[in-house]
Amino acid sequence: MKLRIVVFWVVLCVLSAASIVRSAYSPPKYLGIAPEDEKYYMSSESIKCKDGSKKFSKTQLNDNFCDCPDGTDEPASIVRSAYSPPKYLGIAPEDEKYYMSSESIKCKDGSKKFSKTQLNDNFCDCPDGTDEPGTSACPNGRFYCRNAGHVPLVLYSSRVNDGICDCCDGSDEYDDKVKCPNTCWEAGKVAREKLTRKIATFQEGVAIRKQDVERAIEAIAKDEVELSKLQNEEKTLRGLVQQLKGIIFCVMWYRHTTQEIEESSATSETGTDVGNKVSPDKVTHTTPVNQSDAARVRKEYDESSAKLSKIQSRISSLTQKQKHDFGVDKEFYSFYGQCFESKETKYVYKVCPYKQASQVDGHSTTRLGQWDKFEDSYRVMIFSNGDKCWNGPDRSLKVRLRCGLKNEITDVDEPSRCEYVALLSTPALCVEEKLKELQHKLDLMNKEQPQGHDEL
Amino acid sequence: MKTQMRNLSLLLLLLLGCSHLSSVVSWKKDEFRNCNQTPFCKRARNRKPGTCAFVAHNVTLLDGELTAKLLPKENHENPDQDHDQGQSKPLILSLLVYQDGILRLKIDEDPKLDPPKKRFEVPDVILPEFPQKKLWLQKLSKEDDSSVVYLSDGYEAVLRHEPLEVYVREKGGKRRVISLNSHGLFDFEQLKVKKEGEEWEERFRGHTDMRPYGSQSISFDVSFYDADFVYGIPEHASSLALKPTRGPGVEESEPYRLFNLDVFEYIHDSPFGLYGSIPFMISHGKSHGTSGFFWLNSAEMQIDVLGSGWDAESGISLPSSQNRIDTFWMSEAGIVDTFFFVGPGPKDVVSQYTSVTGRPAMPQLFATAYHQCRWNYRDEEDVENVDSKFDEHDIPYDVLWLDIEHTDGKRYFTWDRVLFPHPEEMQRKLAAKGRHMVTIVDPHIKRDESYFLHKEASQKGYYVKDAAGNDFDGWCWPGSSSYLDMVNPEIRSWWAEKFSVENYVGSTPSLLRGLDPQSKRCKAFTLSGFHLFLVAFLYSSVCVDTSSRLIYVVPQLVEVTMPRDALHQGGVEHREVHNAYGYYFHMATSDGLVKRGDGKDRPFVLSRAFFAGSQRYGAVWTGDNTADWDQLRVSVPMILTLGLTGISFSGADVGGFFGNPEPELLVRWYQIGAYYPFFRAHAHHDTKRREPWLFGERNTELIRDAIHMRYMLLPYFYTLFREANTSGVPVARPLWMEFPSDEATFSNDEAFMVGNSLLVQGIYTERVKHTSVYLPGKESWYDLKAGAVYKGGVTHKLEVSEECVPAFQKAGTIIPRKDRFRRSSTQMVNDPYTLVIALNSSQKAEGELYVDDGKSFSFEQGAYIHRRFVFSDGKLTSLNVASNAPGRAQFSSECLIERIILLGHSAGPKTALVEPENKNVEIEMGPLLLKSKRGSGFITIRKPNVPVAGDWTIKIL
Repeated sequence: MKLRIVVFWVVLCVLSAASIVRSAYSPPKYLGIAPEDEKYYMSSESIKCKDGSKKFSKTQLNDNFCDCPDGTDEPASIVRSAYSPPKYLGIAPEDEKYYMSSESIKCKDGSKKFSKTQLNDNFCDCPDGTDEPGTSACPNGRFYCRNAGHVPLVLYSSRVNDGICDCCDGSDEYDDKVKCPNTCWEAGKVAREKLTRKIATFQEGVAIRKQDVERAIEAIAKDEVELSKLQNEEKTLRGLVQQLKGIIFCVMWYRHTTQEIEESSATSETGTDVGNKVSPDKVTHTTPVNQSDAARVRKEYDESSAKLSKIQSRISSLTQKQKHDFGVDKEFYSFYGQCFESKETKYVYKVCPYKQASQVDGHSTTRLGQWDKFEDSYRVMIFSNGDKCWNGPDRSLKVRLRCGLKNEITDVDEPSRCEYVALLSTPALCVEEKLKELQHKLDLMNKEQPQGHDEL
Repeated sequence: MKTQMRNLSLLLLLLLGCSHLSSVVSWKKDEFRNCNQTPFCKRARNRKPGTCAFVAHNVTLLDGELTAKLLPKENHENPDQDHDQGQSKPLILSLLVYQDGILRLKIDEDPKLDPPKKRFEVPDVILPEFPQKKLWLQKLSKEDDSSVVYLSDGYEAVLRHEPLEVYVREKGGKRRVISLNSHGLFDFEQLKVKKEGEEWEERFRGHTDMRPYGSQSISFDVSFYDADFVYGIPEHASSLALKPTRGPGVEESEPYRLFNLDVFEYIHDSPFGLYGSIPFMISHGKSHGTSGFFWLNSAEMQIDVLGSGWDAESGISLPSSQNRIDTFWMSEAGIVDTFFFVGPGPKDVVSQYTSVTGRPAMPQLFATAYHQCRWNYRDEEDVENVDSKFDEHDIPYDVLWLDIEHTDGKRYFTWDRVLFPHPEEMQRKLAAKGRHMVTIVDPHIKRDESYFLHKEASQKGYYVKDAAGNDFDGWCWPGSSSYLDMVNPEIRSWWAEKFSVENYVGSTPSLLRGLDPQSKRCKAFTLSGFHLFLVAFLYSSVCVDTSSRLIYVVPQLVEVTMPRDALHQGGVEHREVHNAYGYYFHMATSDGLVKRGDGKDRPFVLSRAFFAGSQRYGAVWTGDNTADWDQLRVSVPMILTLGLTGISFSGADVGGFFGNPEPELLVRWYQIGAYYPFFRAHAHHDTKRREPWLFGERNTELIRDAIHMRYMLLPYFYTLFREANTSGVPVARPLWMEFPSDEATFSNDEAFMVGNSLLVQGIYTERVKHTSVYLPGKESWYDLKAGAVYKGGVTHKLEVSEECVPAFQKAGTIIPRKDRFRRSSTQMVNDPYTLVIALNSSQKAEGELYVDDGKSFSFEQGAYIHRRFVFSDGKLTSLNVASNAPGRAQFSSECLIERIILLGHSAGPKTALVEPENKNVEIEMGPLLLKSKRGSGFITIRKPNVPVAGDWTIKIL
């Protein structure tokens, strides 16, 4: 309600000012007054605003400060110097109490106090700008625009009356140098639509993510089951292989010694190392094996050890995989072993999470980096220690992640030489909390819609 | 040794790397000629004092000038004998006198004796109106063996016939000011016709210079009297006070070289010549002040500053009562066309010099604000991001720059349409925030038949020719390139046309035409119409003679420039014009921008190459420096030297072009750079990004504060630019210019004055806790941030703060400020002023404020506000100092003064009376800087709201 009035004031003051001569900088007391009005102003020391809202003293007449909402007190007002904002301009609703409570207001940094007449009087009193929320007088000030129909905005006070429309409600430009049309409704509509679309994406993305996470958890469990199964298998298989190895060894030894005995009893040939090393007393413990058994054992051994090494490599790759950081909900599990590609003008960029990233130009490939880690609460992937740049650093790539329905790499860029950045849309970033936040924001925006807007 | 090894390995790297040449990591001394490798320099330096072979004869007054014949000693008995026998023919000497104490001495070959060709006289440097200041000499007095003429009140010029000598002295007295040939070192090698069997070629690093006219060098000695130091002759990365280059105690004897070259990663403290040349030297001494000497000659020059005692064995005796600095000047070609300036004050000399070569151009207001540059902002998105980040961090800037990569294959005047598909739209977006864009144009034209510029230039025969008469073909960024013959006015005017809105496609949607009519009002206020500002990376930017086409084989470079025997129109050899080539580019480009704006907008062209007179055409930067502390340090004497020699609008790349500055170095650079006349950050494309917000919150804040300081002081800076524009006195001044009799300031180049009110000193060392600052004069000084008072005439040991570099306001001055920070200077136009009055010991102070529309030439018709503020007897008065000539164009401003701060005033007063309004205004205790929490006990007149354009007084009650 209050703001309504405020806007009304501005318009009136500005209108009255604009319509009147403004050449002289320091007007004689009665400048700008129509002859028929002169009496009105001269009659007494205390003059009434024509709208009856209040009184003002003669010293306040043409003092370059707007006292009457209707501008009665500033008939000669020079727009440039006299733009006096309504008292409470630029103040956030939650701060209004702070300013209205008493006649003497404290600078928020506690450095000093100022009087209500010093509030928004276009002269900086508080180093932190508390006293000038509605003017550009304080370098540290902040200006609040309500932007009904859109979202409120807090500006650096250096944006106030700088000739550029920043607030969609135009409240930051009130000195009549520019006309800022109120575009909040349109802008708000666009923003709401955009936000609605974003929310839709998030909703869908959250569902996909949920599935992905479930799948990941399943897969991880499966991996674990597989791993423990494999580990057991490996254990047994290792035993078996050991055993078979023992048998083979024995068979070989047996064959060798019998051969040796046979050979030494017949035409003696040169002895082998094995024979020389083995003591003859062990021979009595071994069972004689026939040839086909030996071949079978041999075959079994070969097969088992091959299987063992396969299992071992699978175990190693599973444990390797387990070591990686798949995010809080394992939402990045599906990235493992995947590569995302993006074709920019000249190059193809290939990003393989947990592995490496590269830039491919025809047949030549440049490594942009090895997988390093996640950063910024899983919102950024870092690839570092890529190929060295000539006369520059090692290449590196930073991938920013954002919510999207597909895993898709876009916008590869090199803001600094050999330091690349890219954007990856992925459902993994479609987090429920964020969705709630967005929905809340949309609710707020919808609430801000001015009542009874004719476009509704 | 070590550096040689390093160079060798770098060379290899270069050969292997085949990337940008500029990536070379260090300056390679071997590739550039020293004096011994330069025959004319070596010959001249080997000559003995007293060997001058000329005698003045036939001295007369003719057309108000003194003229004489210089005859070779052996045959002056018979001036009419056949000269073809001997080496020397008679020369013609003339002495001309101009208003304000300027003597001009010319010596050339006698055209009547039919020399092989006319020697080159540098055209279009001397102001066209200067000859009208010539005084018609009425009387020639003879005195012993000398002829004496009037020079100015108090000074006379003397020509001694034998031994030949020209000097300026105080009238009637014996005290000399400047003399030429007192040591008899004058020599003038005359043009010859080559005879059979003669070998005139010169070779350097595999290149042959045909030298079709033989040796044609000139040399002479110049002495400055009552001089403690000499200064000037840029451009060198060396101290402000020039060190002796020859004489007792000088170890590595190498003269100061003036030869415009692109020197990668130049080293500091070296006499080696860099990108520009101004053969103008200033001497200054405690006892009799300042004098100057200028040699208008654009060939390679070498100048020795001779240490005292260098001439001990010469047997020549000069008046010994006067302190003296001798110098020795050598040039490869041209004529003697020299100017003697009598001073006697430092400002007088600068003013005299710029009355010959021109006053610095008045820049547009935005050009005096902060510039953001990088090689390169790559595409439109990059530009938009950088632009919006400035707003996000509340850091003002006025200009965004695009380096060579914005073009289509380094074809200047074109756009890379992949990276910059919508240049107009991009510029419009910047312009909507009152910001401007600068694009680069280099002088090398890509030899590509489909490139309109090349096609036209080659058809019209506008290129410089090689010795064989073909278009000179050099290698540069675009590959095979040629160079326009800018010495020719016709070609300059053709070039200028290329900047027109029609010709420079993508440079300009006519902004107002493209406007939404409804928001016209808004735009009319915020737009000043953007410009394409051209950086001429003038001359020899990495350009190589390519007779061998081996681009990266560094030894093939002839000092990365055009061969000396290349030919300009009219048979002018490149050797004769070399140092001025970039100057003509600057001139033509600046003219092009004026034409582009229908003569309404002041142009802005930044150049790296320069020559005497460049100040008329724009700004200059000190080239490709490096991100290290020594280079931060040397930037100050480099800028001061440029200022002394006329080029007031100059600056060094903030942050250092090559290399990556540590945040502390970057912050310190911004803190001093904010006081450079030209304030721009720039970086090489191999460096990491270094926009102000990339080094953490604290550093962002420090850099923001530094930039804010500049914006706050813009009214003061702009007033100083106007002072330079009217008087030649530079914005950034050596201390001795303001304190000419304070010897402690003479060789101080750590600190400098911004105008007459501000003293600034950089912090040039990492992590220092304390620094010593000498504050000259008798009056006190007020710290710019905290307002603390310091005694003058004392060296103070100060605690160093990370927040700022030491900066002080001199007591007795008034500085106008604007304390509201906006996105750019454009939005500050209507903001109110603050006056900071620093009272001196007699409670007085004075200051000035100049305001105009900030962009057009209407100030030349008188459309400006110029006020003098005088505080005395407890009363501040605003006086008009603009002329009130009838018919004068008008400029009005509705700006008010919102705050007046009094430093050095006793506390107590509560009100002030404003007249003629007869209103009382409040006085309270306020801060010196609105943002800072410290120091808030200063008398502050609250909201006097007097108009900046009006007459008024404010009396402290």
